[in-house]
Amino acid sequence: MNLEEAEIRMASHKAQDQGEQILSNDAYIQYAAMIKNAAKHWRRTFCEAGSIWQPVVFLTPATLVLFVFAYWPLLQDVWLSFHLWNMISPAMKFVGLQNYFQLVTSAEFIKIITNTVLYIVVLLLVNFLLPYLLSFMMAHLLKRFSFFYRSALFAPSTVSLAVASILFLWIFNPLAGPLSILLSAVGLESPRWFKEPVLVVIVIGLIIGWKVFGYNLILLLSAMVDVPKELIEAARIENASDWQLFRYIIVPMTSSTALYVFVITIVFGLQYVLVPVNMLTQGGPDQGSTNLVYIVYQYGFVFFQTGKAAAFAILSMVIYALFLMLKTKVLDKKVHYEN
Amino acid sequence: MKISSIRGWHWHVVLCGAVLIQLWPLFFMLSTSFKSMDEIFQSTLNPIPAVPVMNNYLYVLKNFPLVQYIFNTFFIAGIIAASKIITSILAAFAFVYYEFSHKEKLFNALLLTFFIPITVVMVPNYLLLSRLGVLNTPWGVILPQLADAMGIFLIRQAMRAIPRPLIEAGKLENAGAWVMLTRIILPLIKPSVIAMGIVFFINSWNDYFWPLLVLQDKSRYTLPLALQMFISAEGGSEWGIAMAVAVLTSLPPLLLYLSCQRFIIHTFMQSGVKG
Repeated sequence: MNLEEAEIRMASHKAQDQGEQILSNDAYIQYAAMIKNAAKHWRRTFCEAGSIWQPVVFLTPATLVLFVFAYWPLLQDVWLSFHLWNMISPAMKFVGLQNYFQLVTSAEFIKIITNTVLYIVVLLLVNFLLPYLLSFMMAHLLKRFSFFYRSALFAPSTVSLAVASILFLWIFNPLAGPLSILLSAVGLESPRWFKEPVLVVIVIGLIIGWKVFGYNLILLLSAMVDVPKELIEAARIENASDWQLFRYIIVPMTSSTALYVFVITIVFGLQYVLVPVNMLTQGGPDQGSTNLVYIVYQYGFVFFQTGKAAAFAILSMVIYALFLMLKTKVLDKKVHYEN
Repeated sequence: MKISSIRGWHWHVVLCGAVLIQLWPLFFMLSTSFKSMDEIFQSTLNPIPAVPVMNNYLYVLKNFPLVQYIFNTFFIAGIIAASKIITSILAAFAFVYYEFSHKEKLFNALLLTFFIPITVVMVPNYLLLSRLGVLNTPWGVILPQLADAMGIFLIRQAMRAIPRPLIEAGKLENAGAWVMLTRIILPLIKPSVIAMGIVFFINSWNDYFWPLLVLQDKSRYTLPLALQMFISAEGGSEWGIAMAVAVLTSLPPLLLYLSCQRFIIHTFMQSGVKG
């Protein structure tokens, strides 16, 4: 049995009407012919009732890797967090919940949580609020150059965080760096950015911000341009101000993407912190730049207290899970919508 | 008309400011890498070196196994990108064209791994890799990254966009699964597969943290990891050399981005990508 040519043409028109211009009509016909030829050589039934082994074979590589290297560690962390261990010695002592108790009662715990919250505030400002406003400008307040701005603003997102770290170490260098020269030109003395308790968090937040800004911007931009033009025009005819346009049309219409970006800004932002902190401060000054993510590295690979590292990992997972639940709901909605 | 053009001008200033902040560090990195030591400290802000010199690059080339670093990075990023693409295509194919029980549950479980933080996998994966004896080898970096949840998600989306009649035709002709995949589906989703491959490559190329845990020998370093050597305890003074390595590290991703930015931005737009 063959598909009629007309039917294929119809399908192609339909697909093109929906904006799925994957193929020209001729190409569709060509593919239909290819299918016929392929079938002549290969008579195995596709998706037959008894062929459950086929999807299993296709799914095994990805499933195996992701379960072994993502879910299995989660279980192992729970187990490790009940033990006292230095990662090397063969002796592993079961201590129950001791690691967790020591963790929440330690003096540094307050510091870690404060720093984490401070990081989140900086990251939300630079990587959520700012791109949100700028993407609104680019999509609805400007008529030209939007493409240029998008390309230029996105460029740093393709650069390694390691490059960003070393680059900004030089830019923020308090003795001879370009920023200190600019500051001294207006009569200010450059602070020692990476040695001051709160400043160090802000500066590292800005380094992450520089890299992630463009990425979040295009995510938000894609939601902004999806807002129906008729709505915007109708509002314009009613003499709505830019602010009213933003508040009453854009914010509600882009809320699901905005929520998504809000969550990934926090969830991934805190993980990006690993790179500049490891390269530039090692958590210092006096644990002033560490956070819930970096502390796991410190306990695991600097202090060699594996049990505590695992306990911190579980704690971070619990906190993340709250965001993930929010996030999964949003993503599910998006997936559903796209179908 | 007049008012709207003034208003637009206002926003353009804001956006040009943002572009300046985003691009100036990159230009600064490039220009510093071509400055001599004297010029770096005496005309720091000068955007174009008065006398461009290659000294920094020559120094790195002579004193560090730079070609080795480039090869290491290329090897790791290439294998990871290729493998992520292959495993994602296979899994997405199963999710789109087969019916089996718990399909949605499995898909969600795989997708969720994208959001498991690195803190959780850090210690256990390190222990597992050490047991497998691949620490301090490129394979230790590659092994945990052979598959990617977002890759499965995005390729599944691309496959779903293929018009159903084409697939039905294949089924009616009794085309085998492998033929369906390689002869019919892959040619249709080739653009998104290539774009995704490039994005995976860029992300692995830029990766710093996992190589840091796994690779100890300096000869096995990747480029981002090598950068760490140019930071001295006091903040360093060899800025020209550090910037030269930074430029070399950023060049491949930036060139890939410049050459096919529409594709790449589109792929990034659909996804959330770590690294």
